[in-house]
Amino acid sequence: MLVQADRDKCEGHGLCADVAPEVFELDDDAVVVLRHVQVPPELERKAEAGARVCPVAALRVAT
Amino acid sequence: MTASPVSVPTSDVDVFASDVLADPYDAYRSLRDAGPAVHLTSHPVWFLGRYADVRAALADWETFTSAQGVALTDDMNAPMLGGVLATDPPEHGVLRAVLSEKMAPRALAKLRGDIAERADALVADVVARGSFDAVTDLAQALPVDVVADLIGLPQEGRDKLLPGADATFASFGPLDERMMARMPVFMDYMGYMQSVSERSVLAPGSWGAAVWEAVDAGRIPAETAGPLLTAYLVAGMDTTVAAIASYVRFLAEDPELFALLKADPALIGGGFEEALRIESPVQGFFRNTTRDVDIDGVVVPAGSRVLLSNGSADRDERHYPDPDRFDVHRNPVDHLAFGYATHGCAGQGLARIEARALIESLLRRVDRIEPAGEPVRHEHPVVRGLERLPVTVVPTAGA
Repeated sequence: MLVQADRDKCEGHGLCADVAPEVFELDDDAVVVLRHVQVPPELERKAEAGARVCPVAALRVAT
Repeated sequence: MTASPVSVPTSDVDVFASDVLADPYDAYRSLRDAGPAVHLTSHPVWFLGRYADVRAALADWETFTSAQGVALTDDMNAPMLGGVLATDPPEHGVLRAVLSEKMAPRALAKLRGDIAERADALVADVVARGSFDAVTDLAQALPVDVVADLIGLPQEGRDKLLPGADATFASFGPLDERMMARMPVFMDYMGYMQSVSERSVLAPGSWGAAVWEAVDAGRIPAETAGPLLTAYLVAGMDTTVAAIASYVRFLAEDPELFALLKADPALIGGGFEEALRIESPVQGFFRNTTRDVDIDGVVVPAGSRVLLSNGSADRDERHYPDPDRFDVHRNPVDHLAFGYATHGCAGQGLARIEARALIESLLRRVDRIEPAGEPVRHEHPVVRGLERLPVTVVPTAGA
């Protein structure tokens, strides 16, 4: 599974990092940073959940 | 090949009727059960009320355009055209960026302490009184002041903000006798908003001043400054008030919930999301279809006006088990109370800071909060909130 983040859309609400800190974090400017681009199988559900809660739809997962 | 005719789900439920507005959730359920998209006979509009469909529509701005306005009537869509609510990408993104660089959580971090102090002072004051109205004395007092200061508004005229925002959101609904009764306030607020949108009126360094700086920098056209300021002046008033009051109501009516949160304040944030889910302050906005669109088997024709019902979607049993129950452990961070995607509420971070600050302070300062009379619902076609919420508190022992 791949995760994509649109850093231009990201407004730093941080819900992804709350839900899936293993996959998403915010940098010092509160812009999303991916800890994995290629998500290991054990984190796939987390990655999906984290991408899902982005209020501005800046995150995508693709299998 | 000809498609076989599919019967179009139709309903005579009037989602803006007073009795439905008083408690819309049975009506919403019947509409969800009637179909994924239901043609209403009471107003020229389709109703989308299932979570998955509302969410998908909010994310698909190309099919569900905002550029013709997000209100029910053409008359009331006209004045909002070109503003941040009523534009699509790419125009929308240019406007929103001016707001979001001020309202994004990264910019709000430094406000947190100040808002917490204000919230605590306010709570201390009402708790000292013992009994108070959690709507007028508590929920209304914080957001209006906070947002007015951030926008950089003069003190004079701030009393217009709440009724003005209320009337402006009401104009998104039917243009009926109830809206006519609000029209003087609406017109007065249009004038007020115009007057405070003048560059010279807005405090230096404020969010309002930043809009004009964006004009000076050539980022946005001068004629968009007024409409952008309007978004600030309308969006974060009665909506935030409704959310906070609704949360306080759950706490007052459920002593176990109160005790749970008092013992474990880490649950306050998730509790707020649940309060937002179960009583979405914005019950829905409208969109217009740009093409024939198949909603889970029902074709909504191009050029249709569609009500995307956040209020229904957030109670959809297809997505949230036992949706009518307040479950503090649910933490439904994917709720649609703030909308979603392109037009997802830009000020949601501020709303969370305000609500958490007030509730944290309340939980610290009181051992119990109890209803002191029946809550009174505020009838409104779009924003679901309370008019009054009388409560009595028992201050924290030893505090």
